[in-house]
Amino acid sequence: MTVEAEAAIHADPHHIPADADYLTYERGWKSWLTTVDHKRIGVMYLISILLAFFAGGVFALILRTELLTPGRTIMEADTYNEMFTLHGAIMVFLFIIPSIPAAIGNFVLPIMLGAKDVAFPKLNLASLYIYWVGAIFTLVAITQGHIDTGWTFYTPYSTRADNSAIWMTIGVFILGFSSILTGLNFIATVHTMRGPGMHWRRLPLFIWGTYATAVIQVLATPVLAITLALLAMEKIVGVGVFDPALGGDPVLFQHFFWFYSHPAVYIMILPGMAIVNEVIATFSRRKIFGYMFIAMSSVALALLGFLVWGHHMFVSGQSEYATMVFSALTFLVAIPSGVKIFNWLATLYQGSISLESPMLYSLAFIALFTIGGLTGLFLGTLSTDIHLHDTYFVVAHFHYVMVGGTVFGFLSGLHYWWPKITGRLYDERWARVAFSLVFIGFNVTFLSQFVLGSRGMPRRYYSYLDQFQPLHMTSSGGAYVLGVGFLVMAVMFAKSLKSGEKAGRNPWGSAGYEWQTSPRPHPHNFAEQPVFTRGPYDYHLASERELFTGTDAEWDTHVAKKAEA
Amino acid sequence: MNQSAQLPPQLSTFAPDVDWMYLFLFWVSVASFVAIVGVMVYFVFRYRRRPGVDAVPTGHGNTALEIAWTFLPLILLVFLFHEGFRVYVQESVAPQNTVDIHVRGMQWNWEFTHSNGVQEFNQAKIPVHTPVRMIMSSSDVLHSFYVPDFRIKRDVVPGMYSTLWFEATELSTPEHPVRVFCAEYCGAARGGTNGAEPNTNHSTMMADLHIIPQADYATFLREGGGPPAECTGAADDVSVCWGQHIYEQNGCRACHGVDGATQAPGPNWKGLFGHDVALEGGASVTADEAYIRQSILEPQAQIVHGFGNINMPPYHLRDQEIDAVIAYMRSLDQ
Repeated sequence: MTVEAEAAIHADPHHIPADADYLTYERGWKSWLTTVDHKRIGVMYLISILLAFFAGGVFALILRTELLTPGRTIMEADTYNEMFTLHGAIMVFLFIIPSIPAAIGNFVLPIMLGAKDVAFPKLNLASLYIYWVGAIFTLVAITQGHIDTGWTFYTPYSTRADNSAIWMTIGVFILGFSSILTGLNFIATVHTMRGPGMHWRRLPLFIWGTYATAVIQVLATPVLAITLALLAMEKIVGVGVFDPALGGDPVLFQHFFWFYSHPAVYIMILPGMAIVNEVIATFSRRKIFGYMFIAMSSVALALLGFLVWGHHMFVSGQSEYATMVFSALTFLVAIPSGVKIFNWLATLYQGSISLESPMLYSLAFIALFTIGGLTGLFLGTLSTDIHLHDTYFVVAHFHYVMVGGTVFGFLSGLHYWWPKITGRLYDERWARVAFSLVFIGFNVTFLSQFVLGSRGMPRRYYSYLDQFQPLHMTSSGGAYVLGVGFLVMAVMFAKSLKSGEKAGRNPWGSAGYEWQTSPRPHPHNFAEQPVFTRGPYDYHLASERELFTGTDAEWDTHVAKKAEA
Repeated sequence: MNQSAQLPPQLSTFAPDVDWMYLFLFWVSVASFVAIVGVMVYFVFRYRRRPGVDAVPTGHGNTALEIAWTFLPLILLVFLFHEGFRVYVQESVAPQNTVDIHVRGMQWNWEFTHSNGVQEFNQAKIPVHTPVRMIMSSSDVLHSFYVPDFRIKRDVVPGMYSTLWFEATELSTPEHPVRVFCAEYCGAARGGTNGAEPNTNHSTMMADLHIIPQADYATFLREGGGPPAECTGAADDVSVCWGQHIYEQNGCRACHGVDGATQAPGPNWKGLFGHDVALEGGASVTADEAYIRQSILEPQAQIVHGFGNINMPPYHLRDQEIDAVIAYMRSLDQ
């Protein structure tokens, strides 16, 4: 080390060498638990939600095993009811809602903006701790209280026996608080921390999607607190709000629940769409077609998401007029969803398309989300919804949106940014094997459930009529294939962590800004403040160095060879 | 509209309209899916990455195209909304002069009360080709009255009445009645019941609708309510047989054994009648006619010791029916 460099370190205690990377710059568990680095917080979120996903997945396989036969297969009816409650609550509250924003968003968003960190780094760490507390609280509440109400915990079933539903709502609210803080943080970061040259029309579409998500998180989640307060008042003070025995209205609870939980559906799907934008642009080498229309369709979905909660309640006994209005508004959701799909297709046109695993997941997203969206039309149309409501058709529909959409988007992003997060490449062949298994397994599992539903098989059924058994067995078979696919993927990623080839800074040759940092980013993301002189998808303006896919050493060889020639 | 393999049999006047819409949506969806994925696969193949061929820069997009694909789908959406709403209005507004039947949902049984006061449990006679209105309420949690063959569904809510109506278009046979399901999750008995048994949890909360000729229903309304036709013989035998019939049809068997052995979830009926039983709170009572009658109509009034946490709903049987149940109970000890 030169004398000047040493002097600089003494002068500035916060100086970090330019070749430091965020994973190894500090070591030890203490450095992780007290870090304010958004990337480390993102990684800790990632590990947490993957654990939740694993647990939720195991419960799903247990459920599908029980459903192999009508009547008892491996467990009793009350155990089955607890299992599907755990599956739903874990997947929704512990996995999907925080998955893309809190894990991947935390990692990528500040880098994309050219910022050193989020606007409130300590708040960011606090929201992770709150997530952990909420997760433990919720799980303890469900398992100790033997909650078997489903993730929707409708009254009066959920409030009849004891207070465990209140404990669970508190747990979910704590988790919601974590979402609110993350959302606030992202909004403030996008508004105030954009690097020089990063104006709104240059924002990567991932940021637009995450921004729209953050707005919903901040506005919708407080409703959960109101619901909790009312539930508590009813149970503790005896004020009749939801319980008809006290003069309350059980349908009112459904309004409250969906007033939060429907916008939460958009908290889940918008970030998935946001990832698809980035991946399609990178693997087509082309700017996303209709940039502003895609950005505004995210904002439109965020707004419409607040106005359609009543479509969960067409048969609940809400007024016919409300039902009419909610049906009409629900159809409007199809417009911005369609705009996105059409623009993605137009982006492929005249592109230079390669099919690495992130792109496979994003293309699968388009196909599966299309099925999810089209089957939504059956449920928005009143006459068909009356028949299909609360059947397996609904189960299949929302799994096509939540898994085919959000989870495939999440997997696309995980494969895409894996080299940036870990600094290592993974075995593309095994990634494709895993993709094929997941894609086939998923479709077998849930296509059969559409037919089960349209033939009249209600959901949340422990036992069923014999005539439904072949389709149930098909669905369970698909679920096992899906499980094997995830197992292959886990091994593939574990191998990459252990012995994967070292990645260059931009293995996909993307024009996106986050690929211009070192393979594993510097603790402050960029050793020097970047200045943005082009958009994130301007391939024709990006330099050869920026799009080079190899390591820095390979670049030097490449330059030397060129000079020779 | 012809019967589709994707849908249950069409047994109400609503079914053809609903199925038409379902199949219309199905084919629109298939066409849209094939178009979208077809274009996607074609582009992926046609514009696959080749050496020396760069992507054509996107430029500034195409506003006319954006406006077209934003507003053209609206035409289809408005049509879907209108057609769906049209049928929904028909389903929501019952015609004048319906035959009314009261329905009470309770964990995990359906109780039907006809206009002549006769009650049926987990089954109901329904006249064919007649608008029938169900006036429904729940005595505990949310349920949902769902008849796939009729394409109708409506939540059954405690503290309020909800209604639905339908007109059955075909007679049913005793072997193939029209099935009612519960479509709103309503839980399960705790611990150790076989979940495949009828009427022990949400998934087995079913009822059978027997669609009978109008004339038969009219006769039933005039004279109905006696013991079922299969109970024959001496008056005592008819009474016992009727009581057993009520025991089986009303879901009593889900909780009450008759073998003298199992005492869960409710007290066993064998060896019960005429004996002294200890009550919750320390008192005791003789299980005589008066006590059995009260326990059916007001189960929470005097609870047998050890069963304080069981929430049996009241069963509004008529006096003759209660007598038959008692006759059946006594026959168990003979």
